Amino acid sequence: MFLCLATALVHVLLVFLHVAPPNPLSQQYSRQVDAWVFPLFEQNWRLFAPDPESVNRQISARTTHTTPDGTVRVSGWFDLTAVDSSAVRHNAFPSHTAQNMLRRAWSSYLENHATDDQSRSQRALMTQRYLTNIASDRVAAHRGGSFEAIQLRVVTVPITAPTPAGGPGVAPVARGAGDTRYLPWWKVEADSHGN
Amino acid sequence: METEPVPAPHPRTVQRAEADAPRRAPDHVRATLASLTERPVSLYAAAVLRIGYGLLYLVFLLREFPHRHQIWGPGSPWTPELARQLFDQTGWVSILTLSDSRAYFEACYALAVVVSALFALGWRTRAVSVLFAVVVASFHGRAIFMTDGGDNLILLMAVYLVLTACGRRWSLDARRTRLRTCAGTAESMPVDRIAGGLRPHLRTSRRTLTAVLHNCGMFVIAAQVCFLYGSAGLYKVQGGSWGNGTALHYVLNLDLFRPWPGLSLMVDEHDVLISVACYLTVLLQVAFPFVLFGRLKYPVLTMLLGMHLGIAVLMGLPLFSGAMIIADAVFLPDRFYRALGRLWQRTAQGAGSGKTAEADRPLRAPVPAQSEPAG
Repeated sequence: MFLCLATALVHVLLVFLHVAPPNPLSQQYSRQVDAWVFPLFEQNWRLFAPDPESVNRQISARTTHTTPDGTVRVSGWFDLTAVDSSAVRHNAFPSHTAQNMLRRAWSSYLENHATDDQSRSQRALMTQRYLTNIASDRVAAHRGGSFEAIQLRVVTVPITAPTPAGGPGVAPVARGAGDTRYLPWWKVEADSHGN
Repeated sequence: METEPVPAPHPRTVQRAEADAPRRAPDHVRATLASLTERPVSLYAAAVLRIGYGLLYLVFLLREFPHRHQIWGPGSPWTPELARQLFDQTGWVSILTLSDSRAYFEACYALAVVVSALFALGWRTRAVSVLFAVVVASFHGRAIFMTDGGDNLILLMAVYLVLTACGRRWSLDARRTRLRTCAGTAESMPVDRIAGGLRPHLRTSRRTLTAVLHNCGMFVIAAQVCFLYGSAGLYKVQGGSWGNGTALHYVLNLDLFRPWPGLSLMVDEHDVLISVACYLTVLLQVAFPFVLFGRLKYPVLTMLLGMHLGIAVLMGLPLFSGAMIIADAVFLPDRFYRALGRLWQRTAQGAGSGKTAEADRPLRAPVPAQSEPAG
C-alpha cells in the first residue's frame, strides 16, 4: 500500500519536473526524470504558448521526370497546403491528416535541420524521408504519372497584427508577401512511392 | 458535508472539542488512511472518464476510417521501417509494427474499435482497460508525428485508468453484479467467512489493493490535469501576445484551424472581446489548480467548458476539446453524478411508460440502494 502511494507521489513529482521549465532541481535529476517519463508519459502543454504561431505556411511540391529520350521535364507547383485547408473548411471534425500531418512533419523537419538543409543526424534523415513520402504520395494521388525527384517550396506568410480601430488597413498588402524557402531536390524511392 | 445540518453546538462542547483536538489528530490520520485503503473515491467520475475516453477514441477511429491507411497503415508516409527506427531510439512499442501485412493492420484496427466500445460499455473492465491502454499506446506511437495535445491526453488517461476501478458504476460489470446480488448469490459470502480459511483473507486484501490502486490512480489523474492547466497557463504568461491581448487574433487566423472562416473573421473583428478572452484564458488556466478545493471550482469548470466548446467549433478541434472536457469531469463530486443518474432514470421512465412510472417506483427503489454500499 505504501509502495503504491509512494509510486504515485514520485510519479507526480517526476511529471511535474518534466513539464516545468528547466530549473536547478530538474537539471540535477534530468536523467531520472527522463528515464521515468520517456517515452510513455512524455507531454507538452505549451498550447499556443508562449505565443501562438503568427504565420501560415504554404507548402508546395514539384517533381522531375526523365523521359526515355533523356529530356528532364519539371512539373508545375502543386499546393499541398491548399488541399489541407480546403479539407478543413466547413468541416466540423477535420481529419488529423489535414490538420496535423504536413504541419507537424514540417515542424519536426525544422527542429532537426539548419537553414542549409543538411541532414546531420539520423533523426534529421528520418524527418526528411517522412516529408518526401508525404509529398510524393500526395502528388502521385493528385496527378499520377511517374517521377524520380521532388522539390518542396515553403512560403511563410505572416499574419498581420490586428489593426487598431479606425487605423489604416494594411492587411491586403502584407498577405502573400512572405518569404520563400526552396528545399533541395530529393530522390523519390522507386519501390514504394510515386512509381 | 453530512455534518452541516447539525444545530450549532453549545459553547462548552466546542471548547471541549478544541481541547480534544490534539489527542484526536492521530485518529484523524488513521481515519484518512482507512478511507484510502477501504473506500475507493469518486467511482462515478472514474466511470465518466472510462465512458468518455472509450467513446472518444471510438469516434476518432471511425472518423479516421477513410484515412486509416495513411495514418497507421503499412503504406503510410511514416513507413513501418521509419516507425521501428524511431522506436529503437525512444523505446516505444506498438502492436502495429509487428507485421507489415495489410490484413494484420485491418485486424488491429478492428480490435481497436471493439476494445474501445467494450471499454466504454464497461465489460470485464479491468482486463479490457489494459487492452485499451495497449491499443491507444500502439496507435499513438505508430503515428507519433500526427498527434496533438488531445491525443497525448487520451494516451495518459488510458494508461492511468488501468489503475482505477472505473468499471464499478454505469457499466455492464455493475449490471452483472447487481443482477447477481438480486439473485441472492451474495448471501453465500457470510457463510464463507464463518468457514474461515484463506479465501476471505484473499478477498479482503484484494479489496484493499483495489481501493489503494484506485485512489492513487485518481490522485495521479487529478494531478495530471492540474499540471496540464498550470503549465499551459504559466507558459502563456511568458508570451508577449497573451500579455497584450492579441494572441487569439493570431490563433483565429491560422488557416488549418479555421473551419468556418466567416465565423472566425466575425469574432476577430471584436478586439475588446479578443483581449478579454485572452486574459480570461490565462487566468483560468493558472488559477485552475488553486480553485479545486472550494466552491469556486464550479464557475471555473463551467467557463472552461465554454472555452473548450469554443475551441471545438471555432478551431475545428472537437477531439482535443472532448479530451479536455472529459478530463475536467474528474473534479465533479459523486453526488453530482448520482443526481444526474436519478434525473436520467426519471426521464427514461417518464418517456418510456408515462403514468406507470409512478407505480414502478416503490418496487424499483430497493435495487439502486443495494448497488451502492460503497457509494
